[in-house]
Amino acid sequence: MCLNLAIFLGKIISFISKRLSFGAGATWPGEAALRINPHILSSFASQFRKGIILVAGTNGKTTTASMIKTILEAQGLSVVHNASGANLTNGIVSACIGQANWLGKIDADWGVFEVDENSLPIVLAELKIQNSKFKTTTKNLKFIIVLLNLFRDQLDRYGEVDVIAQKWQRAFPRLDTGNQAIKPYQFIANADDPLVAHLGEAASSRPGLEARALYFGLNDPKRFVKAVDHATDSIFCLNCGGRLSYEGMYYSHIGIWYCTKCKEKRPIPDVSDWKSPLPGLYNQYNTLAAVLVAQTIGISDKKITESLVSFAPAFGRQEHIGNAYIFLSKNPTGFNQSLRTVLELGSKKLLLVLNDRIPDGRDVSWIWDVDFEMIPKDVSVRVSGDRVYDLALRLKYAGIKTTLYENLEDALATTGSFYVLPTYSAMLEVRKILKGKKIL
Amino acid sequence: MKLSIAWLYPDLMSTYGDRGNIIVLTRRCQWRGIETRATQVTLETPARELAHCDLIFMGGAQDRQQKLVGEDFLKRKGPVVKDMVEKGIPALFVCAAYQFVGHYYKPYRGEKIAGAGIFDLYTEHPGDQAKRMIGNVVAELISSLSSRVRSDGDAISFGEIASSMTPRNDNTIVGFENHGGRTYLGPKIKPLAKVIKGFGNNGEDGHEGAVYKNAIGSYFHGPLLPKNPYIADWLIGKALEVKYGKEIPLAELDDTLEWQAHDSIL
Repeated sequence: MCLNLAIFLGKIISFISKRLSFGAGATWPGEAALRINPHILSSFASQFRKGIILVAGTNGKTTTASMIKTILEAQGLSVVHNASGANLTNGIVSACIGQANWLGKIDADWGVFEVDENSLPIVLAELKIQNSKFKTTTKNLKFIIVLLNLFRDQLDRYGEVDVIAQKWQRAFPRLDTGNQAIKPYQFIANADDPLVAHLGEAASSRPGLEARALYFGLNDPKRFVKAVDHATDSIFCLNCGGRLSYEGMYYSHIGIWYCTKCKEKRPIPDVSDWKSPLPGLYNQYNTLAAVLVAQTIGISDKKITESLVSFAPAFGRQEHIGNAYIFLSKNPTGFNQSLRTVLELGSKKLLLVLNDRIPDGRDVSWIWDVDFEMIPKDVSVRVSGDRVYDLALRLKYAGIKTTLYENLEDALATTGSFYVLPTYSAMLEVRKILKGKKIL
Repeated sequence: MKLSIAWLYPDLMSTYGDRGNIIVLTRRCQWRGIETRATQVTLETPARELAHCDLIFMGGAQDRQQKLVGEDFLKRKGPVVKDMVEKGIPALFVCAAYQFVGHYYKPYRGEKIAGAGIFDLYTEHPGDQAKRMIGNVVAELISSLSSRVRSDGDAISFGEIASSMTPRNDNTIVGFENHGGRTYLGPKIKPLAKVIKGFGNNGEDGHEGAVYKNAIGSYFHGPLLPKNPYIADWLIGKALEVKYGKEIPLAELDDTLEWQAHDSIL
């Protein structure tokens, strides 16, 4: 009864918010349903025929989850996915409500959900609740947990990178089933991020796991950076505290790392070479993660390749609207990666947009950790956003001339192709101006 | 003219855009033709490299990183920094560094963690239920500092500096704070500023930061110096004065953008 009422209310709200095209339509139905039934997620989760894939990490969640969805759907599998990037529990529940019928029944093979860093422990706890149901229903169901990376991001909201890693590590043991017959969890982790790899190794030794964690990573010395990025977060060994050494770094603290003190080292990747459908080194990692997920559930390499050929970027992630290319850039590492990619693509016109609203983080200090100094002199740079003066000031000290626009619409009024690097809420605004109201 | 800036633990204590303070100090020197070098001083760097620097900066850190720094700072670098501060070498300590130069930090659970005792202050964390102090902050420099600081040595007051080095009458500082610990000043150190908006040192006594001789401690990042350029210039001025033994006037720079960014927080 409680479930039905929650679904009913959720669906009504979903219907109304879609009709009136409220921006928050991606979270309200879930929020309302959770108020009535706080464990509604577990009721949904047990209905997927094949399993659930969770994608967590600071950067690349949306793109990776979207790639996984694309691959699965190309195999004729049906997928429920929080495509609008609403990645708190309420967003995941909203996605389920959107797909469920009025009785709360979901007819789908897979749930593919990107999960916010802080929400991962909550979501995992919900999955454990419904774990008991699997014992009687199906034993072939899979849970795949993808750990992409951890970078400093919105410290006022998320706290420090290490705090998030600790929360995750504490949440993983809760996954233990206690029943050796059912081992449904599979970790897929980034070997090249020392913090994430450490979590993968720690999780691998837990009972109740299907197998040790599987790893993706790059073996490509040609792509090692010559100068180390300033924004590195985890260059000290999690095991012994010693300074990590690197055979080479790809970006930030991502690279082929090892500890000279305790001999802990980067795990050998299970997949390290795959053509990325999108430019940028960070998308190479997103691709490897998605491919490893697909391989894990038994999709052939040939089919994976075929299904990724026509992959279209997720909204705001290298999205092309009119003469603008939008590259969401929301933290130092993300910004550095976006900048590097658009400059490699030969961009001569940039618009950087900095907001400081709740989804962006209220603290804009992080722009001083971005290596804007890499922008060549012949690139014209416009700046805008709520904190346009902070951004212009940062660029002044990087030796880069900017044109300052207090009004975002004016900043977007330009001819010829240009690249927009906005923070999250700024990205939504940019899309709204360029495209009209709807998020998707 | 030449200046050498010591940047303490850039790979461990640089969490909230702290590098911005170094960039601003370096650039503002270069724009005035002062040759400047920032020396990165970290765990493996011998403490003697610190000793011939003219200005010191140390920033914020995460808990794990702060633990890694702990022993090295307390045993090796801290005593050198203490001597330098006592001699009037200007310094800026932000967030975790500000806590670290005090007598101790008391976490809500567990033992007190010793500090370097450079500043007469201590910090306590009131418990995990206590609210973290987060948000944009504005404070006003305490001009009554002048006589006291001056009687202590040859330092000029912040109040005077604020109005003499800029065409403005106000002497506000702006930034962003994010800390759980509450810092309390002892009798041998003065607060830097009076909080107008935000929490400051402890959210109780209305004070923000601390100043001792030519060294400043503050919870403000943002980072502190870009939007408060006159504090950067005060540090540079002091560094030159101590090094060359006389007051050296600094060429005025066009700070229009700096003040626009400053005013956008007020």
